[in-house]
Amino acid sequence: MRLYVALAIVLAMAAGIAYAASEEMVHSITLPAVHTELKTGPGKEKTETLCASCHSVDYITMQPNFSKAVWTAEVNKMIKVMGAPIQEVDAMTIIDYLAAEYGTGK
Amino acid sequence: MVYKRFTRRDFLKTAGAITAMAATGSFPTNIFADGKRLAKFPEKTDMILLTSRPPQLETPLHYFKEMITPNDAVFVRWHLANIPTSVNVAQWRLKVGGNTEKQVELSMDDLKKLEKVSHTAVIQCSGNSRSFFDPRVPGGQWGNGAMGNVTWAGARLRDVLAMAGVKAGSVDVAFNGLDGPPLPSVPDFEKSLHIDQAMDDDIIIAYEMNGTYLPMLNGFPARLVVPGWYATYWVKSLSDITVRDKPFDGFWMKSAYRIPDNPCGCIPPGSAQKTSIPINRMTTRSLIVDPSEGSSIAANKPVEITGIAFSGGYGIRDVLISADGGNSWKEARLGPDKGRYSWKQFFFSWRPAKPGKYTLMSRATDNIGESQPLDSLWNPAGFMRNKIEKVEVVVK
Repeated sequence: MRLYVALAIVLAMAAGIAYAASEEMVHSITLPAVHTELKTGPGKEKTETLCASCHSVDYITMQPNFSKAVWTAEVNKMIKVMGAPIQEVDAMTIIDYLAAEYGTGK
Repeated sequence: MVYKRFTRRDFLKTAGAITAMAATGSFPTNIFADGKRLAKFPEKTDMILLTSRPPQLETPLHYFKEMITPNDAVFVRWHLANIPTSVNVAQWRLKVGGNTEKQVELSMDDLKKLEKVSHTAVIQCSGNSRSFFDPRVPGGQWGNGAMGNVTWAGARLRDVLAMAGVKAGSVDVAFNGLDGPPLPSVPDFEKSLHIDQAMDDDIIIAYEMNGTYLPMLNGFPARLVVPGWYATYWVKSLSDITVRDKPFDGFWMKSAYRIPDNPCGCIPPGSAQKTSIPINRMTTRSLIVDPSEGSSIAANKPVEITGIAFSGGYGIRDVLISADGGNSWKEARLGPDKGRYSWKQFFFSWRPAKPGKYTLMSRATDNIGESQPLDSLWNPAGFMRNKIEKVEVVVK
């Protein structure tokens, strides 16, 4: 987008006309990069890679501790309902990791 | 251009700030005492960070001391990671079609030629206050800050629909925005309203928030505003309106944003939801904003208890205050009336005589008699919390 703006300025200068109007039609933002670190534990890397393909992992860290049954339901929801392409064996790894690091121990 | 735009200087300022952050390799998030982080996103003030991709940002409570929530403090909630970050307003079009006489593509200028309508209306996430559910439920762990009171302005939805000409036999109107799923297998965020409701005079396609353009993260360049209803219907960065002769059965109506199919929208805590309907009109709520939880107050000096109250579109009739944990109640004074969709401020002068712990409570009733329950109404998705909230303070 900045390239377009720069181009518009150059063209406008060359033509000797005002460029402000066209420039102000474009509204842009740049999203900040926010890093959230998951707890260290078996399955962390797989969880990070597969979950973060759709959303930041603060979706995990903002949750209260849940039972393994709730985490299982959440992971299955992501796969069956939300369309996450995660293999069953990987899903097991993720569930075990979440239940161990963000679980209630139940 | 009629409306004030995000200027090049603003853009450079934002870009510069982000670059500086990137260079240091860290994003300036301040840690709250309770583990919540504050974050600065473009066009927004410091907000409570729930998630970053897609962004979910919560409004710090002190903003609710004011009648109107400033644009940069209004909460942000997106569902899918591919959110719009750049919109060329000259090229943006709102496509209206489906079961209509013709398909039309409206430009921003077309939209602005229609009669401009304005409402001050509470925008509230269905899951506002979810983190207070007991037992806790998965989802966006909002405190009470997924709401705000904003003056919206734009064109009536029914006027826009009339430009395409709604055909007989239409049953639903579906709304889609510029956001998209991160993978093709993920269901796109699309919502619908029944055709009768879509014809409501008060539903607008807003291109202004509080007299200026919408921040990108709040749905630039235009969003649907359905006053009195939860914000899940207020589709952001609106791009497509489809009139349907068959009920809309998209994921975000059929499977998500559902509440128990009974008058309270609630079931026994921890149980499973059997039959459900789409979430709809907001329940009545009130919240004491000042004094805040845990405040110290001097004995024998008057202190003003203030807060906000709103309902699902029927205005607020009265707000009662208790300073003794609910044993006795007295009526609060209400602030100016900005219409039935706006919140009302309430004020109550309190003079605690003795030192000790006190529990402050507020209970609002709207103009059709809907009020707030003493105990929370539980549902598995964590929606529609509206119980009478308690604020504990210490008098010294």
